[in-house]
Amino acid sequence: MRKEGKKRRKRKEDKKRVVVSNLLFERWAHKENPNRHYRGNQIKTSKYTVLSFIPKNIFEQLHRFANFYFVGIVVLNFIPVLNAFQPEVSVIPICIILAVTAIKDAWEDLRRYKSDKVINSRECLVYSRKEQSYVQKCWKDVRVGDFIQMHCNEIIPADILLLFSSDPSGVCHLETANLDGETNLKQRRVVKGFSQQEVQFQPEHFHNTIVCEKPNNHLNKFKGYMEHPDQTRTGFGSESLLLRGCTIRNTEVAVGIVIYTGHETKAMLNNSGPRYKRSQIERRMNRDIFSCIGILFLMCLIGAVGHGLWNGTFTEHPPFDVPDAKGNYLPLALGGFYMFLTMIILLQILIPISLYVSIELVKLGQVFFLHNDLDLYDEETDLSIQCRALNITEDLGQIQYIFSDKTGTLTENKMVFRRCTIMGHEYSHQENAKRLETPKELDSDSEEWTQYRCLSFPARRDQGPAAMRGQGGSQPLRRSQSARVPIQGHSRQRSMGRCEISQPSVAFSSSIRNRLAKGPRAREAAAEASASEGRLLTVAESDLMNPWSFYGYEVQEKDVTPDKNLLSKVRDAALWLETLSEGRTPKPSLATASSIADFFLALTICNSVMVSTTTEPRQRVTMPPSTKALGTSLEKIQQLFHRLKLSGLSQSFSSTAPSDMDLGESLGANIPTTDSEERDDGSVCSGGYSTDGGYKSSTWEQGDILGAGPGASLEEVLQAPALSLAGPELCYEAESPDEAALVHAARAYSFTLVSRTPEQVTVRLPQGTCLTFDVLCTLEFDSVRKRMSVVVRHPLTGEIIVYTKGADCVIMDLLEDPGCMTDSDVEKKMRKIRARTQRHLDLYARDGLRTLCIAKKVLSEEDFRRWASFRREAEASLNNRDELLMETAQHLENQLTLLGATGIEDRLQEGVPDTIAALREAGIQLWVLTGDKQETAVNIAYACRLLDQTDTVYSINTENQETCDSILNLALEEVKQCHGPLKPGSKLSGFRLPSATPPATSGAAAPDVGLVIDGKTLNAIFQGKLEEKFLELTRYCRSVLCCRSTPLQKSMLVKLVRDRLRAMTLSIGDGANDVSMIQAADIGIGISGQEGMQAVMSSDFAVSRFRHLKKLLLVHGHWCYSRLARMVVYYFYKNVCYVSLLFWYQFFCGFSGSTMIDYWQLIFFNLFFTSLPPLVFGVLDKDISMETLLALPELYKSGQNSECYNLLTFWISMADAFYQSLVCFFIPYLTYKDSDIDVFTFGTPINTISLATILLHQAMEMKTWTIIHGLVLAGSFLMYFAVSLAYNAICVTCNSPTNPYWVMEGQLSDPTFYLVCFLTPAVALLPRYFFLTLQGTYGKSPILRAQKIDRLPVDKRELEIQSWRSRQRPATIPGEAHPTNHLGSPTSGQSFRSSTPKNLSPAERRYKEDRCQESKFQKSLIHTSASSQEYRRNGHVRVNISSILRVGSALSQRKGHLKITTRFELGATDTSKGGKDQRMIQMSKCQTNQWFLRA
Amino acid sequence: MKQQQLPAFRLQLSANEILSGFFAIGLFCLGMGIILLLSAKSIREVEINYTEKCATCAKLREDATNFDKECNCSISFYLPQKMEGNVYLYYKLYGFYQNLYRYILSRSNIQLVGTDVKDVRNCAPFKTSDNGLPIAPCGAIANSMFNDTIVLLYNFNSSTHIRVPMVRTETAWWTDKYVKFQNPTFQNLSSAFAGTAKPPNWPKPVYELDEKDPGNNGFVNDDFIVWMRTAAFPNFKKLYRRLHRIGNFTEGLPAGSYSFIINYNFPVGRFQGQKAVVLSTLTWSGGSSLFLALAYLVTGAVTLLASFSMMAVHLKLKERKTFFLQ
Repeated sequence: MRKEGKKRRKRKEDKKRVVVSNLLFERWAHKENPNRHYRGNQIKTSKYTVLSFIPKNIFEQLHRFANFYFVGIVVLNFIPVLNAFQPEVSVIPICIILAVTAIKDAWEDLRRYKSDKVINSRECLVYSRKEQSYVQKCWKDVRVGDFIQMHCNEIIPADILLLFSSDPSGVCHLETANLDGETNLKQRRVVKGFSQQEVQFQPEHFHNTIVCEKPNNHLNKFKGYMEHPDQTRTGFGSESLLLRGCTIRNTEVAVGIVIYTGHETKAMLNNSGPRYKRSQIERRMNRDIFSCIGILFLMCLIGAVGHGLWNGTFTEHPPFDVPDAKGNYLPLALGGFYMFLTMIILLQILIPISLYVSIELVKLGQVFFLHNDLDLYDEETDLSIQCRALNITEDLGQIQYIFSDKTGTLTENKMVFRRCTIMGHEYSHQENAKRLETPKELDSDSEEWTQYRCLSFPARRDQGPAAMRGQGGSQPLRRSQSARVPIQGHSRQRSMGRCEISQPSVAFSSSIRNRLAKGPRAREAAAEASASEGRLLTVAESDLMNPWSFYGYEVQEKDVTPDKNLLSKVRDAALWLETLSEGRTPKPSLATASSIADFFLALTICNSVMVSTTTEPRQRVTMPPSTKALGTSLEKIQQLFHRLKLSGLSQSFSSTAPSDMDLGESLGANIPTTDSEERDDGSVCSGGYSTDGGYKSSTWEQGDILGAGPGASLEEVLQAPALSLAGPELCYEAESPDEAALVHAARAYSFTLVSRTPEQVTVRLPQGTCLTFDVLCTLEFDSVRKRMSVVVRHPLTGEIIVYTKGADCVIMDLLEDPGCMTDSDVEKKMRKIRARTQRHLDLYARDGLRTLCIAKKVLSEEDFRRWASFRREAEASLNNRDELLMETAQHLENQLTLLGATGIEDRLQEGVPDTIAALREAGIQLWVLTGDKQETAVNIAYACRLLDQTDTVYSINTENQETCDSILNLALEEVKQCHGPLKPGSKLSGFRLPSATPPATSGAAAPDVGLVIDGKTLNAIFQGKLEEKFLELTRYCRSVLCCRSTPLQKSMLVKLVRDRLRAMTLSIGDGANDVSMIQAADIGIGISGQEGMQAVMSSDFAVSRFRHLKKLLLVHGHWCYSRLARMVVYYFYKNVCYVSLLFWYQFFCGFSGSTMIDYWQLIFFNLFFTSLPPLVFGVLDKDISMETLLALPELYKSGQNSECYNLLTFWISMADAFYQSLVCFFIPYLTYKDSDIDVFTFGTPINTISLATILLHQAMEMKTWTIIHGLVLAGSFLMYFAVSLAYNAICVTCNSPTNPYWVMEGQLSDPTFYLVCFLTPAVALLPRYFFLTLQGTYGKSPILRAQKIDRLPVDKRELEIQSWRSRQRPATIPGEAHPTNHLGSPTSGQSFRSSTPKNLSPAERRYKEDRCQESKFQKSLIHTSASSQEYRRNGHVRVNISSILRVGSALSQRKGHLKITTRFELGATDTSKGGKDQRMIQMSKCQTNQWFLRA
Repeated sequence: MKQQQLPAFRLQLSANEILSGFFAIGLFCLGMGIILLLSAKSIREVEINYTEKCATCAKLREDATNFDKECNCSISFYLPQKMEGNVYLYYKLYGFYQNLYRYILSRSNIQLVGTDVKDVRNCAPFKTSDNGLPIAPCGAIANSMFNDTIVLLYNFNSSTHIRVPMVRTETAWWTDKYVKFQNPTFQNLSSAFAGTAKPPNWPKPVYELDEKDPGNNGFVNDDFIVWMRTAAFPNFKKLYRRLHRIGNFTEGLPAGSYSFIINYNFPVGRFQGQKAVVLSTLTWSGGSSLFLALAYLVTGAVTLLASFSMMAVHLKLKERKTFFLQ
């Protein structure tokens, strides 16, 4: 046995884990269980135990440099030679600080301990051999090798290999929301060989050995095999592993064996605590702390040397020079050295001990306010901002570069099917497009609406109370209410209130809720309220007219209005399918029809969408009732009936279609959404599934629209939803939103996905027949292949068909070569289809749509069998399984036949253009890094105003490094020509005399150049060491767009900018592909949206919408930065100011290290009297109001330039501190000089004075005064007096040498004290006061001006902001001052900006600009041709200038203005060695309406 | 929970609001300065440095072996104006660093408050005498106590010398005398200090400091208490005697010729120090020096200057009206 144990241990050391059933060993001693080496399931996330807390915590705290320093100082105190006052006293501050931190840590740890305890004592069912059944056990008692039974909705206690599922197909469903936030169901499959169990799984019969990987943190990677007693092996992967923390759904019972427990589970291994980042301010602070240490050393050195010199002046020891205890005097040098150490002890507070604690507290406060900002709260997702990193709030105010993902970040990531192309024929879905655009015309629309309702309501009220209050009406309303209005007291809720008031129309309002959610919802409710009173809509027009709020919420994925043209063809296709089912050979003329049918089948089948009902708990639909009926004679009759009916319908459709366009449109916009209100936002449901074969519900979508022809009464239409809602609804749960969009698109054409099991997919055809496809294999989507495939057996033809869906570039390469075709006709046709599809794809991309290609392939039985065995082998392999699987996929996915392509729209998020404009105005450069296609990305960029139509956009697409180099050079040259050399970022000082030059428009980025670059070019740049040039170019660019970039490239770009430009970077993204980018940036922001939680998990802040970035940065960032920066500067000032008082005194006490201030007072001063005001200041101060900050994004620049805290402000405050301390010391000194004042009586006024000075200084720094500020300041001052008085009244002998008794009281009765205390702070603060006044009055910096604006009354403020903005504008649209001055000489730039060309009419100006631009063109032409000659000489690359120039010049007269639109395109063909592979390099594309000239 | 939305006052330092403040401060300072100046002028003060004048005595004290030899020194001076009101007699030391770190520490407050005469913990190196008895009062401060005696004579005429009556009590803080310094509670003071030794530099034990007045003897001796309150600066004066306003001196010190008779005991040559004797009156603001008055005057003037200049700039710019924005 021991031998065996050794073996196991040995085996444990290599990269495998071997698990056997525990039951075999249950009766034996625990020692013999081979699983005993594995850790138990108990988790312990707490760091400390009661015993280890103190040593461990102190040890950890001492890792901080500051704490270490202070402890070192304390140790110094205990050196007897140094004769520190009271070493014990010096321990107090550091103890307090350590204690505060320790308490915080302990509390956090306690919380962790408690939650651990709760989790550990959860119960689960573990099989026991003794009991012969499953018994309750705590989670912590679960061991590796145990068998666990789980029921529906239970949380999984450990990582478990699934061995049994009550589901007949051996599937178990998981919800992984706890792990990654994704709420859709995921399938897990029973290990092969266990799936076809008829009876309950018998753990006792399990004698297999499981061999799998060592624990690792890859959530989706797991592989292993099971060795049966007969030595055969079965492979399994992550699809059989149930992860700890997930929830079982839709499965009654599941049984599995525990593989990983406790901390070795994947969930726990993935759980890395919050990250620690250092903010820029902290870094700068550390640097300045070193300056402070420098100052400290200098002071101590002066003290030591001074002491030596002073001692040297005496020939013998004077009576006051006290020897040590033995009566010996120290030698001079040693005395000096000891004095140095004594001085360190004395002046230690120069390093602000409480600063660290204060900063942490302030950040907590800031995070608290950030967290509680309602503007950053998203109702829809019920999420407010999450601050995951507590210590970098102030970095939000200093961002210079934002790197943003596109999909899901700028866009909604709610996919809407827009158009498709099938077999080279494009179906534009114009009605769909129109419907999607309705928000823009909602004004007129809603009026029509009201009219309709005015007509229909009375009747409806009489007629259908049941329908209104029944399932269809009130329930959805309640649901939407609970989902949408999760918090109370918010203004938006008011609309709901109105809804409830207008009870009779509830059903109706809920039916249009989804379409008009939020703002529109309020509008609708208002409209209803007025409509029910028989009035027309007049209410609440203006405040609800924000188009973006309509835009974002109006569209649901499921709403697809079918293209009429296509719809009719679908009928044909359906008919064709019918013929198939009846066993007849299809007519060749119906080839297109078959393609269309194939296309929709592919849409329906080729995905991983789960179908479930909406009722709780979710029940998956696996067996549609009608499926079994297929083939029976009854069904056939029914089918026939359907067919007849359908054909009739389609006829009536074609006849009525043109005439009912208008009504159909308005109804089509509204009616089909009727059943959508049933759904939650995340899940997409399909209506209509009734017992009568599904006819009614599956056809009513097209049917009732049609039925609602001119003759049909509106009531009928309105009645329809109630009927359709009677049956159970289907809910589609898709892993990615575009899958759902496609399934819904297919459903709109009546190809309805009815059920899905791993083995079978059931599709209901337009006629209502259900086809059940056997799924032979599913190749899941992955980002490398960029496609997914499903292999099915067609139930009618028996063919094995591969449906593939994927990115167009991939699919297009995998299509079968038309050249191989024997039939030239077919070949020609295929080429044509391909070309046309490609053209359509380009068109889609230009419209900003996401494109997917659909293809199919028919496999022969033989081929498939071969492939399947190959696949099985790959699946069972343990080592290079991924590579093998990839290979098998490649074997299958080739020689595809193109069916068509789809265009899916990804809607822009609400407020994105606005946010981008504001961020740009704030001087932030926005880069979009996306994996999308260039065309899509560029179009989104235009849509969200990242690029402007007037911009010059350089696109660089090349793989060649030399080419890339030359293009970059060329572009740089041209940009430099246009914009002049880079100005160094002008640092605006706060104070500017009026005579000074107006602030130069701070200049790194000229605002009118855009750069579009793709992943390949980026590779070339990184490989060719062209980063410098690239960065130089980008600094001229107002925005940069990187398409087709991989996650790695994204993070490399971020790092490049962060490291090379030393810029503050922020990354924002929502998906797993953004994680590396988020981690690379100084601040990572995750969008908690559709694509799971990975981005959020790795981020520092998580917001729910992109538009929140605006307030987060412009307001909170600015505040946090300015507060904290000024607080840090103040802290330095405070400590230096105070400590130097002690230093000055050394000159009068023989550098002996005495203090005139009582030691306790000294400590209290920092810890209590002056610590609270900076805290309040750091948490609450608002230098500029929120409204102004939002209205004037320009103000953000102050943070970017680190205006509040830089080297200059630091040293200015240091100098001020020294000045103030000099005043605070020498005025009392000179006053009390030669008097009979004693040491500590002298110290009292000094202490008081410095306190007053420091607090008043703080008061001047505070920009807002609230009652809290006032209370804290006054309170600090009063507390000083109270504490001092009390202390001096109580302490007779307690603080031995200082004798503080009655000192304060004595001073308070002395008029000189008051005289000094008034004069000194006045003198100390006078310069600063004077300076601030001058600055406040005549200062020109934006911040100061904004502060001035803030003080104005509200109406005036708006005016002032507007005038500011209008003043700002001309500066960004430079022209020329004098008509004769062409091309603006460098000198004229300033003069121009100062005299805004009011005298110039806009037309004239534009004309001039155009002239300028023409000349620019000529110049750039010359450059281009010159450089292409260079290419030729270069030899590496031969460049043909095939189509040199296409300069189209269009003159258009618009509104009397002369406008020249010039389009300039230059393409050069890069011919590589082979000559075959021609790739167009789109070198520079200047699309210009206007050229801005900058001097 | 919203952002804090407390009503806030925005502090903006701009000329309009500030000018008035500046003027106010400037005027106040000027006025205060003038008042202080006047009051400082009313102070009469006579300071006589007797380090040089008593050079022979100083020389005698250089040699420690002469500790038991008496040395008197007479310094006469002429008071041109009479000193009205309370007149205080100070001794003043130059270059005596009573504020040295280790010097300050070298005392025992517990001993001085009378609770435990033998508590000499902090008094190193003057804890115990050579024979091991604890020193009372212990420590360097007490040991180095100023021990010159100063007597002021009023030379009524060339032959009549009236000793100016002086009070030797109430020169220390009331709290010091009655709270911080207490003799040990014994009937007899000398027995209270039994078992202790006198500080090495002292000629007499502590209970013989003022044998005439038991309320001024031992630890509660005013001269002792005053000395124990360590001075803040190396040059300091300490209150020695108050004028007892009786007889000729009811109004204060009349003008005329005076002389100090100084029993020279305290050596200052070892630290290149100097000794002086000071006669001074006080005003309402204490014995405030001229400095505070001057400081107020200067501050007031500078503030006014600043405010005037600011006003000038402000008025000039106001005409242009353009400065507000852009």
